[in-house]
Amino acid sequence: MSSMTHTEQLSVRSRRQIDGWRWTGRIFLAILLIFTVVPIAWMFITSLKTGFAAMQYPPQWWPAAPTLENYTRLLDTRDSVGQDFLRYFFNSMYVSVLTTILAILVAVPAAYAFSRFSFPGRTFLFFAVLMRNMFPAVVFLVPLFILMRVLGLVNTHGSLILTYLTFGLPLAIWLLKGFYDNIPIQLEQAARIDGATRFQAFFFIVMPLSTPGIIATAIYSFIGAWNEYIYAYTFLTRQDQMTLPVGIQRFFSENATDWPGLMAATFMMSVPVVVLFLVLQKYFVRALTEGAVKS
Amino acid sequence: MAEVILNQVVKTYGSIYAVNHVSLTVADGEFVALVGPSGCGKTTTLNLIAGLIPMSGGDIYIGDKLVNDLDPKDRDIAMVFQNYALYPNKTVFKNLAFPLQMRKLSKDVIDSKVMAAAKVLDITHLLERKPRELSGGQQQRVALGRALVRDPRAFLMDEPLSNLDAKLRVQMRSELKRFHHELNATVVYVTHDQLEAVTMSDKMAVMDGGYLQQYDTPKNVFDHPRNTFVASFVGSPAMSLFPLEIIGAGTSVSLGSPEGWSFPLNELNSRKANASTGKKVILGARHSTITVHKTAHPGAVPGKVYTVEPTGDVTFAQVFVGDSIVVVSVEPQVMLRLDEPVWLEFDQDRMHLFDGQTQLALNPA
Amino acid sequence: MSSGQAIFTDGPGTAPRRPGLFSRMWKQRADYLYVLPAIIVMLIVIGYPIYYTIDLSFSRTPTTLKLSDKTFVGLQNYVAILTSPNFWKVTWQTLVWTVLSTIFAFGLGLGAALSLHREFAGRAFMRGLLLIPWVISAVAASYVWKWLYHSDFGAIGALMVQIGVTDEPINFIDNTRTSLYALIVVNVWKEFSFAMIMLMAGLQTVPESLLRAAQVDGANAWQRFWHVTWPHLSGVSMVTILLLVVQNFNSFIIPFVMTGGGPAGSTHIWITHIYEIAFQRQNWGAGAAYAVILFILMMILGIFYVRALTRGDATRAGT
Repeated sequence: MSSMTHTEQLSVRSRRQIDGWRWTGRIFLAILLIFTVVPIAWMFITSLKTGFAAMQYPPQWWPAAPTLENYTRLLDTRDSVGQDFLRYFFNSMYVSVLTTILAILVAVPAAYAFSRFSFPGRTFLFFAVLMRNMFPAVVFLVPLFILMRVLGLVNTHGSLILTYLTFGLPLAIWLLKGFYDNIPIQLEQAARIDGATRFQAFFFIVMPLSTPGIIATAIYSFIGAWNEYIYAYTFLTRQDQMTLPVGIQRFFSENATDWPGLMAATFMMSVPVVVLFLVLQKYFVRALTEGAVKS
Repeated sequence: MAEVILNQVVKTYGSIYAVNHVSLTVADGEFVALVGPSGCGKTTTLNLIAGLIPMSGGDIYIGDKLVNDLDPKDRDIAMVFQNYALYPNKTVFKNLAFPLQMRKLSKDVIDSKVMAAAKVLDITHLLERKPRELSGGQQQRVALGRALVRDPRAFLMDEPLSNLDAKLRVQMRSELKRFHHELNATVVYVTHDQLEAVTMSDKMAVMDGGYLQQYDTPKNVFDHPRNTFVASFVGSPAMSLFPLEIIGAGTSVSLGSPEGWSFPLNELNSRKANASTGKKVILGARHSTITVHKTAHPGAVPGKVYTVEPTGDVTFAQVFVGDSIVVVSVEPQVMLRLDEPVWLEFDQDRMHLFDGQTQLALNPA
Repeated sequence: MSSGQAIFTDGPGTAPRRPGLFSRMWKQRADYLYVLPAIIVMLIVIGYPIYYTIDLSFSRTPTTLKLSDKTFVGLQNYVAILTSPNFWKVTWQTLVWTVLSTIFAFGLGLGAALSLHREFAGRAFMRGLLLIPWVISAVAASYVWKWLYHSDFGAIGALMVQIGVTDEPINFIDNTRTSLYALIVVNVWKEFSFAMIMLMAGLQTVPESLLRAAQVDGANAWQRFWHVTWPHLSGVSMVTILLLVVQNFNSFIIPFVMTGGGPAGSTHIWITHIYEIAFQRQNWGAGAAYAVILFILMMILGIFYVRALTRGDATRAGT
C-alpha cells in the first residue's frame, strides 16, 4: 500500500476508494486525539486557576489570570501543604525505585530459566506465574494485611514493596522471557565452548543483549508501583508514610475540595511516569508486544 | 590436536531417537564430514561431542580423555556455528579475545594471539567493527578466527558455509581445506550438502534417521554405497534406482521389468543377485555408467526421453524406464528430443545391485 | 525422522531406561535455583492468601478479625450472598461494565491501530499522546474526570449547554441512570490505548506482500482488511480481549474513587462490592465467599488466557 508505483497502476476508482479510507482514518484519529487530550488539557488549565476562578459557571475555558501559585505551594517546604506533598512524592519514589530493582533481580533469572531450561514442572510453574495476573488486588487485601501483621511489616514501606513485587513479577517474567526467547541460543553455546560456565555465558553474553528488555521491564514495574492505590490505601495508616495516590486524596478531602490544587497535584503526580514513558517509549512498546507478536 | 571417538552414542527425546547408537573414530588430524538430510541427527551428534546437550547413552573420548560428564568449557574444543554466533555487542577484537579472557590469559598474550589469528585470516582491518557491520564472508572469518585463536584439540563446525552465497561458498571451501592442511587440525564438519562433504573431507559419515549409514572415505562411499539411502544421497545428479525382478538362477540371471523387457547379467552380478533375500532387487546406476542408444541394442532397455538439460559440458536427460526415472548424460553434440524413444545400456562392471527388501548392497554369494 | 527412504537400521534397538521424574529433577536441580526466588515470593504472597481466603469463606469471623474466635459455618456465607438481591444487581452491573468497556476499548484501539499503522510524520508523537491515559494512574484519571463531570462547574456539562445539546448542565455521576455509563467512558478513555498498542504490534505481522497480492487481485480496502489483515490479527485480538475482560472485571479504582459505588449502589461492581462488604461492613465471611467465587471464574478465564499467551511457545528450551 505504501508503494507509489503500485498505486499508480490502480484504476482511478480504487484510488479514490483508498483516499476515502485514508480520510476516514484521519478523521477518526482526530476525534480520538480530542477525546484523549482534552481531559489532560483541562487538568492543566484548571491547575493554573485560582480557587475562585475554577468555581464559575460557565467555566473560563482559558484562565483570565493564569497563576502558578498551585504549583509553588506544592513545592514550598515551608508550607505544610508543600511539606506533605513532597513527603508523599519521595515516599512514592522510594517505594517505586526499590520495587523496580528487586523485581528485576528476581525476574531476570526466572525469565531466563523459563526461556532456556526444560526442567520438570517448568510449564506448570510458568502457568502458575501467569495465573497471578488473573486475580484482582482486592481479594488479597485481608490475607495480605494479616500476613504483613505476622511479618511485622504493617505501616512500613516494606509491606508495599513486597506486595508490588508479586504484582509486577508475572508480567516482568513474561516480558523478559520474550526477550530471551529472541536471543539465539547459539550465542551461549559459543560462549560455553569458548570457556565460559553457564552462569558466565548468561552474565557476559546474554545479560548485555537483554538490556532493552530489562529497561522496559523496569519502566513497567516503576509505573505499576508508582500508580498503585489499593494496598497503599489499606496498609499504610500513618500520614508520613503515604504514597502520592493515597496522599493527595486524604489531603484534599479534608478541606473541602480545592480543585485547582488537586489538579496541580494530579499533574505533578503524572509528570514522572509520562516523562519516563515518553523517553523510553520504544523499549516499552517493543517489550509489551514481543509476546503478542511472536508465534 | 587429538582424536575423537564416539562409542555407541545415543540421544533420545522422549521415545524418539535423535542419535541411535552411533560409533565412529575421527583420527588425529583427520577432516570428517557428518552429512545427511535435515533431521538426520548430524547436528545433534555434533552438539553431543561439544557437550552442549546431555547424552542419553554411550561414551565420547576426546584425546584419551572420557568427556561424557565434562562441561563444554572443559572439553577444549572450538566450534563454528551456522549463523556464526558472533557476540553482537562486542567488537571483532573482543569476540576473538573472549575465549582467551575466559581462560584468564594475560592481556599481552591475548593481544598477540588475537593479532596473529587476525593476520592469518586477513581481518586485521576489521578488529574495531561490530559483527553487524561485516559482510557474511567477513563474519565467517571472524567466527573461524574465534575458533583458531586458542589451540583447541578439535574443531567442530556446524554448516559453517551454508549462509554464504554460492560463489563465496566455493571459495571458502578451498580455504577451509587449506586451513585444515596447514594446522593439521582434527575437524568434525556437519553439512547437508554432500558435495561439500565429498570435496572437503578425509572421511564422511553419512547419517539418516539417527543412524550412521556409512562411514568411509568419500571415494569408497561414492563407489561402494552400503545401501540405497547412501547411493541416492551421495553424488549429483543422484544415482538412479529402480526395482526389478530376478529371472532365472545360477550363473546366468536376467533382470526383468513388469513391462516385459529383460536383460542378462554378467557372472559377477548374477552371483550378487543370487544373494538377494527375495526375487526383488534394486538396480542402481550413475549417469556416467549408462550408454544411450538411439536405436534398439542388445542388452539395452527401452525408455522415453522426459526432459533434456544441456549444461554446456554435458547434456543431462531424464528418461522414463517403465515407471522409474533414470538420469543419463550424453555428449553435448548428441541431440535428444522430448518423448524420443531411446535404449539404455548399463555398464555391468559399475552398476550397483541392492536387496529389494533390506535395501543393502548385495555381495556375490 | 523417518524419511520414507530406505533406512539402514542395524543398531541395537533397545531403548535405554528413561530416568525417573525425581532423578531428572535432582539432575537438573541447579535449574530450579533460577526460578526459586520468584517462586518463594509468589508462594508467600499468593499461595497463602488463597488458602486463607478459602478458609475465611467457610467461617464466621468477628469484625475484629481475631482469628481465634473464628467458627466454621459451612456454606452459610455462600447461601447468604447468592440469595441476596444485591448479588444479582451487582452482577448485572459488572457484566454491563465489563462488556461495554471491553467492546469500546477494543473498537477504539483497533481503529487507532489501523489509522496509525501507515507511516506518516508525527506518528510516534501521536502514539505517545494516545498512550498517556494508559500510563497515568487511575487515581489521577478518576479525579480529572470527576472534575470534568462536576455537577456545577464541570466542563462537559457546560460545553453541552453552550453548543445547545441541553438547557441545563446534566448531572452525570449523581444520577443512577447515567452514572455507570459515565464511568464506563472514563474506563474506556483509560485503557483503549492498551488495545491499540497490542494491535499495532499484531499489524506488523501482516505480510506486506500478501496485501499487495490482494490489491493486484482486485480486493478493495475492506476486502483486504477482512481477508488478509484480520486473520493475522486474530491471535493478538484474542489475548487483548481476554486481558481487557480480566482487567475490567477486576476494576476497582475508577468506581471507588469517583463514586464509591453510589449513588444508591448504581456503580457497584463485584470488586467494589466485595470491598464494601469486607472492609466497610466487616462481614469477612461473605467477602471471602465472593472472592472464592471470583477465583473460580478467573481460573476459568485464566486457562484461556494462558493458552492464548503461551500458544506456539512449546518448549523452545534446548538444553
